Amino acid sequence: MFQGMNFSPASLPPAVARLREEVRAFLAEETDWQPNSDFNAGASPAFSKRLAQRGWIGMTWPTHYGGGGKSFLERYVVTEELLAAGAPVGCHWIADRQSGPLLLKFGTEEQRHRFLPAIVAGDCFFSIGMSEPDTGSDLASIRTRAVKVDGGWCLNGSKIWTSGAHLNHYMVTLVRTAAASENRHAGLSQFIVPTRDPGVTVRGIDNLAGESDFNQVFFDDVFIADDLVVGEPGNGWAQVMSELAYERSGPERFLSAFRVLAEFVRCLQSSSDKQQRTLAGRLITHLVTLRRMSISVANMLENGEMPDTQAALIKDLGNTYERMVPELIRLQIPEQRSQALASALQECILHAPSFTLRGGTREILRGIIARGLGLR
Amino acid sequence: MHEDQMLVADTANRIFSEECPPEVVEQAENGIYAEELWETLNANGLLLAGVDEANGGCGGSIIDALIILREAARKAAPLPLAETFVAGQALNQLQQPMPALPITLVRGNFELSKSGLLKGDCSRVPFGRNCQSFLIAVNDANEQHKQPISLCLVDADQASIEQGKNISGEPCDRLLIKTEMTASRIFTVDRQWLNYVELLGAASRAVMMAGALEEMLQMTVNYALERRQFGKAIAKFQAIQQQLAVFAGEVAASKRAADTLLESAELNALDVAIAKARIGEASGISAEIAHQVHGAIGYTREHRLNQLTRRLWQWRDEFGNENYWQHYVAEIFLNDAAGELWQEITELKV
Ligand SMILES: Cc1cc2nc3c(=O)[nH]c(=O)nc-3n(C[C@H](O)[C@H](O)[C@H](O)COP(=O)(O)OP(=O)(O)OC[C@H]3O[C@@H](n4cnc5c(N)ncnc54)[C@H](O)[C@@H]3O)c2cc1C
Repeated sequence: MFQGMNFSPASLPPAVARLREEVRAFLAEETDWQPNSDFNAGASPAFSKRLAQRGWIGMTWPTHYGGGGKSFLERYVVTEELLAAGAPVGCHWIADRQSGPLLLKFGTEEQRHRFLPAIVAGDCFFSIGMSEPDTGSDLASIRTRAVKVDGGWCLNGSKIWTSGAHLNHYMVTLVRTAAASENRHAGLSQFIVPTRDPGVTVRGIDNLAGESDFNQVFFDDVFIADDLVVGEPGNGWAQVMSELAYERSGPERFLSAFRVLAEFVRCLQSSSDKQQRTLAGRLITHLVTLRRMSISVANMLENGEMPDTQAALIKDLGNTYERMVPELIRLQIPEQRSQALASALQECILHAPSFTLRGGTREILRGIIARGLGLR
Repeated sequence: MHEDQMLVADTANRIFSEECPPEVVEQAENGIYAEELWETLNANGLLLAGVDEANGGCGGSIIDALIILREAARKAAPLPLAETFVAGQALNQLQQPMPALPITLVRGNFELSKSGLLKGDCSRVPFGRNCQSFLIAVNDANEQHKQPISLCLVDADQASIEQGKNISGEPCDRLLIKTEMTASRIFTVDRQWLNYVELLGAASRAVMMAGALEEMLQMTVNYALERRQFGKAIAKFQAIQQQLAVFAGEVAASKRAADTLLESAELNALDVAIAKARIGEASGISAEIAHQVHGAIGYTREHRLNQLTRRLWQWRDEFGNENYWQHYVAEIFLNDAAGELWQEITELKV
């Protein structure tokens, strides 16, 4: 079979059952937010802090950086519980999912000690600075640039669609540090940019639902000390690519519409309509299968593999599913619809266009899958 | 899969690859039954896996049998293998010796009188003309109740056949029976038991579809790399790449759903339902893309693609189509008193 098509079944260790109960008990006490299973839809520094106090941020990181020393499968259980409950995970999500692991892989010892314990404590949040006004899918075409100065770099340019930059403390920013050459992937570097630096301007952009989550960020002669460069200058492309399996394979890639399904199912408890029930069953068969695929990948990550094609497959299948859920359910709404279903549906339809864009568009993912098939 | 299961898969794969080329499939569809292939499978112990040796089977588990069926499906093996598996399991559970094979379980309009006269017909019996034995489930008068059901074991010469075929091109015949039964060939089972046996049928079709889908993806990718238009391989066109990526996603999901069945010690009804429904859905989507990418050549009888696509179109409808199993899944999730969807999903074994 093709490279990257294998999703070997993996089981969750028995110990996670207790962990799952602990997370549920924690969530049952949480009351001051509106549930939304889209990971991008809610952000609360106070919630992230409470989660950190339970040890559920940076769970997989080594204990000497403050991490939990737990497995990816344990982290998986915590993240899926948070999403299913619709918790406001936006603040810590990126730092926990990918900025921390990036530093563990490429950061200096000093950087790890400086950032990881703070992330684990729920005091330090990260954003991703990749997209620019003229750069979306074609990431190598970025123009934000930095020139070497004494003791660091001088950064100029702009990033856009930066989720949470207005709430977060840092953004891992992809920057051109050497002129573009024949090899488009050369000369790129990753910087940790403090979003509250006086040379950084964060300007909110409303999304179509009228919410303010993403931003345009401007860099105006921002001084980035050498100790804020991640890994080797010039190695940025390879480093960004190494984040993708973390970024694309998790439960947030198929649970965004979960509230809609859950509320639909709740309404059907008192309906015997065959069509409605059949639809619920259909959506459950997809969800269970996606979850199993995603757990397979979490297990591969645990084993130190780099399942990039699998991650692209999960994200594409999962995003397609997330967009299908509200579209099918809206046509089968029971007469006894609850207010919860109506509002979950409305929010989901408004957010749905973003599912197949953020984190790599559907078309780009399919290109990666096609490469896995040997077509390109 | 365990090592011994890999061995079963490898052996089966080798035999089907060597002994079941497209010509054998084509011949079978033209009415020449693949007798030789059947004998080879028999000689290699691949026919009655999962049936106790004491009952005339090959031992091993039903998972072994499903693994063999998946390999058979990759090559569109034109034999009543799943049918024999299901009926063989039924008899094995009843501790009966295996009768003449092939055999199939039949649910049609059959009545059994008090005096032992079995009478009735079933209009769609796959491979009816090739079966040496039939296991006939007699209708109970009252479908709704959990009344016992009689199973009658009948020899082929007690039955008559009107030939037909289904969308897969395989025989699908009308079976007519009017015969006196002896008591020793009548077994009484309850409906639940029969449901379990039919679940084996759904599991068979699910893993078979998954196997055929993998084969079809490989075939289609190879074709896209070979076929040239506008001066390059069509694989280089992004429209083709994007379609094949969707196809690959469906195959990956199908493989994962089928693997769940092959990894478990025994069949879990909910997992079978999920697999049959999910893979059935994948079959339609994938067959459409496979044909689109193959162009006109794939629409010819001569090309091997349709040996797989016709079977996928057949199998997705057998032993319960997608809607049937989706509804079944919903009933399990929605009728649970606890009623919390997420809790139920996380209680499922991954
Ligand atoms: C809600 C949301 C949050 C986001 N958060 C962040 C963030 O925190 N940080 C960040 O850096 N970015 C973020 N993004 C940006 C996201 O990564 C980009 O939207 C994405 O990479 C696509 O870029 P684009 O929007 O410029 O579209 P474009 O790249 O301009 O694409 C437009 C269309 O053309 C298609 N297309 C482009 N190239 C090809 C090709 N080669 N082949 C076929 N089709 C192609 C695309 O698939 C798409 O359909 C976010 C986006 C959204 C919607």
